[in-house]
Amino acid sequence: MINLTVRGVHKHFGGLHVLKGVTFDIKGPELIGLIGPNGAGKTTLTNILDGAIKPNQGTVYLDGERIDQLQPYEVALAGLGRTFQVTRSFRRITVLENLYVPALAMGRPESRKAIHEKAMSVLEFLTMDHLRNEFAQALSGGQQKLLELGRLLMLDPNIIILDEPFAGVHPKLMEIIHDYIERVNDEGKAIIIISHQMDSIFSLSRRLLVLNYGDLIADGPPDEVKRDPTVIEAYLGAEEDDRGGAQAKGTRDS
Amino acid sequence: MKRQVPNILGVVIVIFFAVFPFVYSAADYDYIMHICITAFFYAILASSWSMLSGYAGQFSFGHMGFMGVGAYTTALFCHYLYLSPEPTKLCTEFQVGNSYLVIVNPIGVTSTTLTQDCLRQALGAWNGSVEVTPMPVLLGIVLGTIMGGIFGLLIGLLVLRLRAAYLALFTLGFAEILRATISAEIEITRGQAGIELPHLFENGLTVFGHTFSKTDKVPTYFAMFFLLLACLAILFWLSRSKFGLFVRALREDQDAAAALGVNTTRCKVLVFVVTTMMAAAAGAVQAHYIGIITPNNLFLLQMSLVVAMAVIGGIENFAAAAIGAIVIEFVLEMLRSSFEIGSVTVDMSIWRLVFFGILLMLTLRFSRNGLIAPVILYFTRGHVGKETVSKRVAAMDEAGAAQ
Repeated sequence: MINLTVRGVHKHFGGLHVLKGVTFDIKGPELIGLIGPNGAGKTTLTNILDGAIKPNQGTVYLDGERIDQLQPYEVALAGLGRTFQVTRSFRRITVLENLYVPALAMGRPESRKAIHEKAMSVLEFLTMDHLRNEFAQALSGGQQKLLELGRLLMLDPNIIILDEPFAGVHPKLMEIIHDYIERVNDEGKAIIIISHQMDSIFSLSRRLLVLNYGDLIADGPPDEVKRDPTVIEAYLGAEEDDRGGAQAKGTRDS
Repeated sequence: MKRQVPNILGVVIVIFFAVFPFVYSAADYDYIMHICITAFFYAILASSWSMLSGYAGQFSFGHMGFMGVGAYTTALFCHYLYLSPEPTKLCTEFQVGNSYLVIVNPIGVTSTTLTQDCLRQALGAWNGSVEVTPMPVLLGIVLGTIMGGIFGLLIGLLVLRLRAAYLALFTLGFAEILRATISAEIEITRGQAGIELPHLFENGLTVFGHTFSKTDKVPTYFAMFFLLLACLAILFWLSRSKFGLFVRALREDQDAAAALGVNTTRCKVLVFVVTTMMAAAAGAVQAHYIGIITPNNLFLLQMSLVVAMAVIGGIENFAAAAIGAIVIEFVLEMLRSSFEIGSVTVDMSIWRLVFFGILLMLTLRFSRNGLIAPVILYFTRGHVGKETVSKRVAAMDEAGAAQ
């Protein structure tokens, strides 16, 4: 049973308070959208969950184990994987080797042959099997995003954070990413999607977290969050068909 | 078959150098042997530096410093430690079984050496009745290698958070501090005068009934050659292991590698330890071959030479870096002869370094992965592009047929 507990996470850089006591739980294979304006603290929160930076206050527990003071590789081994806002494939390593890295790092008692076969099935799913021996630098931006997702499949964590998975991606590849998210979620993984693509977020997520300048201002089902005046004011703005809402319209116009 | 060409060529090169001392018999035999030994020495440094910088992306300029650690460790060990059956009662000494481990007092480079050296005074008093035993050279080399690894571990831990130019400057600083310290500690290291070392095979060597004298270059040739092969074998094994894959991932993106479960700290430190041990081992053997080690061997110029050899060979392929080092060492030696263009005499002893610099600049400008690595890549990866296209076309045909 997946259980991520985030309690009172606070992070400041000098005088800038980026996260102000963020608290939430993830129980089971949830599919969560994390949204908020630029500078809201989404990536900082991701970096804290992933172990890349340490919180000034607060705790993060994953399946009962405290992970907020662990190194990123230890967090990955504990079962939390992530992608990055700007794609970070290993450019001068082949596509297949990119996929071998997490599988070998996990240190599972799998043979090289089993790892290779798993990597090939991942590439087939991502429609990239013909590129397996190319260096990652030969891939398009969208294909590199797919490769990052493929690496997570090889890592096989229980919780996956996808930072802007749809940014700059061709519609055809976006379909593959949607399929990926649904398939991985169906396999029992919890997924947090950070994105500014509202259509994708609302169609995929079953729960939304909204960050606004370090505060978690909303946490609930997308339909509820969409109507939350605080969220409308802070981030979403008024819908096109809801121009009568003076408060929301004012927010968008401002 | 095409993919096997580099392997076949590699075996041919190894066989060539294995039989070369027995088939070459020109008048300049000793000179050529000396160039070969020096070329093997630089090949170890260039290939190990290629693993550190080309594979792992840790641009260290301290490699010659680590070489110096190995050389000075064995030099100090062989210079200051002796085994004596009798206590000298003058030197610092410890009983080890039936013998005494004698530590000779440091005397620097003063003119009153004979009166200050406690062991020489004791030997004078014994008047030939007691014979002291110098430390085994092999043990000195092993200790030098281990000491190189210890320094590599310490520097590796210190530079964990440093990347790119900061790492380069830090390691450069380390090498310079080491050189300056050795130069300054005249009392112990003899400063610029250098420390003399016993020869690699001080008592000669007998192999299959043939006796080589201590000045014979063949035993040293094979000692350095086998050390090079051992280093290349370790580098080959590492590059094919998951550690090799992890360090390349580390080079590409340290944060992404860590996020995928790679213990980047361990990889970084380990690659420092392994490569610095190789540099230290090469330095120790070379110091015993030359017979003296001075701080000048640690000069930045020497480091630049190693970097240039690796870059011209191919920094991301340790075999290419090793071949590059051997070729460049020979070319630099061959370019020593002067020639005339009309009435102008070109003194190549000066101009060869200019040509060398131009070659380095052209390589960096037009062939970033060196001159030899692309040839190896042509044979090992030349087929990949065609394969990708044919698979793509086949997939599209299949999709077309299905529709």
